[in-house]
Amino acid sequence: MTRLIHRQAPDAPLLHVVDGKQVVPGNYNLVQRFGLFLLEPFTGAWRHRDLIAAILRRELRERFSGSVAGWVWAVVAPLISLVTYTLVFGGAVKLPNGNPANSPIDYALFVFGGLIAFNFFTEMAYRAPSLLHEYAHYLKQTMFPAEMLPVISTLRATTYASIGLALMLICQLIFGGTLYWTVLLLPLWFIPFLAFLLGITWLLSAMGAFTRDTAYLMMTIAPVLMFATPVFWSHETLSPVWKLLWYANILTGFIEIIREIVVFGELPNGLVVAWTVFLSSATFWLGYWFFRRQQDGITDVI
Amino acid sequence: MSSDDVVIKARHIAKAYKLYDSQGDWLKQQLLGAAKTYYKSFWALKDISFEVQRGESLGIIGRNGCGKSTLLQIICGMTRPTKGEIWVKGRVAPVLALGATFDLEATGRENVLIGGAVLGLKRYEIFEKFDSIADFAGIGDFMDQPIKLYSTGMRTRLAFAICAHMNAEILIVDEALSVGDIAFQQKCIDWIDNFRRTGTLLFVSHSTGELSRLCNHAIWIDGGRVRQGGDVAEVVRAYKKATRFEKDSMSRFSAV
Repeated sequence: MTRLIHRQAPDAPLLHVVDGKQVVPGNYNLVQRFGLFLLEPFTGAWRHRDLIAAILRRELRERFSGSVAGWVWAVVAPLISLVTYTLVFGGAVKLPNGNPANSPIDYALFVFGGLIAFNFFTEMAYRAPSLLHEYAHYLKQTMFPAEMLPVISTLRATTYASIGLALMLICQLIFGGTLYWTVLLLPLWFIPFLAFLLGITWLLSAMGAFTRDTAYLMMTIAPVLMFATPVFWSHETLSPVWKLLWYANILTGFIEIIREIVVFGELPNGLVVAWTVFLSSATFWLGYWFFRRQQDGITDVI
Repeated sequence: MSSDDVVIKARHIAKAYKLYDSQGDWLKQQLLGAAKTYYKSFWALKDISFEVQRGESLGIIGRNGCGKSTLLQIICGMTRPTKGEIWVKGRVAPVLALGATFDLEATGRENVLIGGAVLGLKRYEIFEKFDSIADFAGIGDFMDQPIKLYSTGMRTRLAFAICAHMNAEILIVDEALSVGDIAFQQKCIDWIDNFRRTGTLLFVSHSTGELSRLCNHAIWIDGGRVRQGGDVAEVVRAYKKATRFEKDSMSRFSAV
């Protein structure tokens, strides 16, 4: 046992706080500090990877083992909505953006793609404000890295979104007869989207720890946001000025991109991609920064 | 002893909790905090200084609400002191607090996996130690039952067993040892005795007998300050004497 302790000694965690501020060992200038801050979410997630995996495993088990049919529900729910859209919009010859429909399921896929992204967002937005309350016992009693809870919860929601996405690809393959090569870009779509959701979750969960109003606010905003987001229609029919305005809503970019690469098999507009990536990175680090700033207060109020 | 052997160093630690009258005040503080203060400060700790050397056992005594738990939370890094300096070197294991984090629906086995991860063990380490943990807990087939079926004593056993296996350098034992039966208490005390040969112990207890037996130094915290520190026997004697005379007054909990 003594040997084990010595082996761990060099990288042993060291706590050093002066006047409420964590002391970072070593001398760094402003630029280096900024770089370290940008890296922090990633190094943190890597260091706590086993913990993240353990909690995530438990959450998924909890979600699906409490019911008889388990994972079947997770597949059936998106399948039913996909079937519904097909039945309702099946006769449409024109897509909302004016393109002709190639197959009866095109319209449904068009809507469904937007819905996957939007539902992913709302799931995070609804859960984030109460996230830290759910884990209060961990935060108060153990040295739990609170900033990793949003990571766990985002990964959890990713599994549901992936089920929907897989279903969409299968339908596209069966009814459309082919998958476009641009589908390979989906992982690249996922990375900024996850970054954006993580940033939002950091922000909302930190705010939610202090006031329950955050939850009510999200419940009020999200349904409105649904119409400000081109889920059921396309903003391409709008005038250019309005169109630009829609891009302020980051979900617009994500939904447009996923439609283009999955339903139409086209490369997305480079400008839209750049803007979306910029917005999501900004959200990611802003959210993380806000969470870290509030973190000490969070353990005290929860 | 050289200063290299210091593992915990606390200098004039003070901790204030912000008390808001309403959530609106919290929002005002966030938005207009630079100009005005919208909360009342409750100083749970006012001025705490001490040092702990490697291999030392420090007892912490004090009456309810004196700030012991806050101090432990600060040492563990769960919360930060508002003022002063805290410096901790080494892996800290807060024993028994872990029991509170058990997931009641999950089995003992699953909770060992999660609890170990929460304490910072790698997955393979937990698997390696699993049999040893089960053996230490000594709860037999209950390991595969949901925790909600456990008695308080069984939960304590499992929690202690997990903590005992995390190769901590600093062990923090907070009261609650008294929950287990005599045989298990003895097992824990024996284990702690063994741990003291290599590690540092912080022991919080209202039982002055246990304190005197396990620790060589002690600090007595009263009203957020160190009232007395030094040799355990002296501190315990002074503490006992004081509690005999001082009334259990409500004013200790006033939040101003």
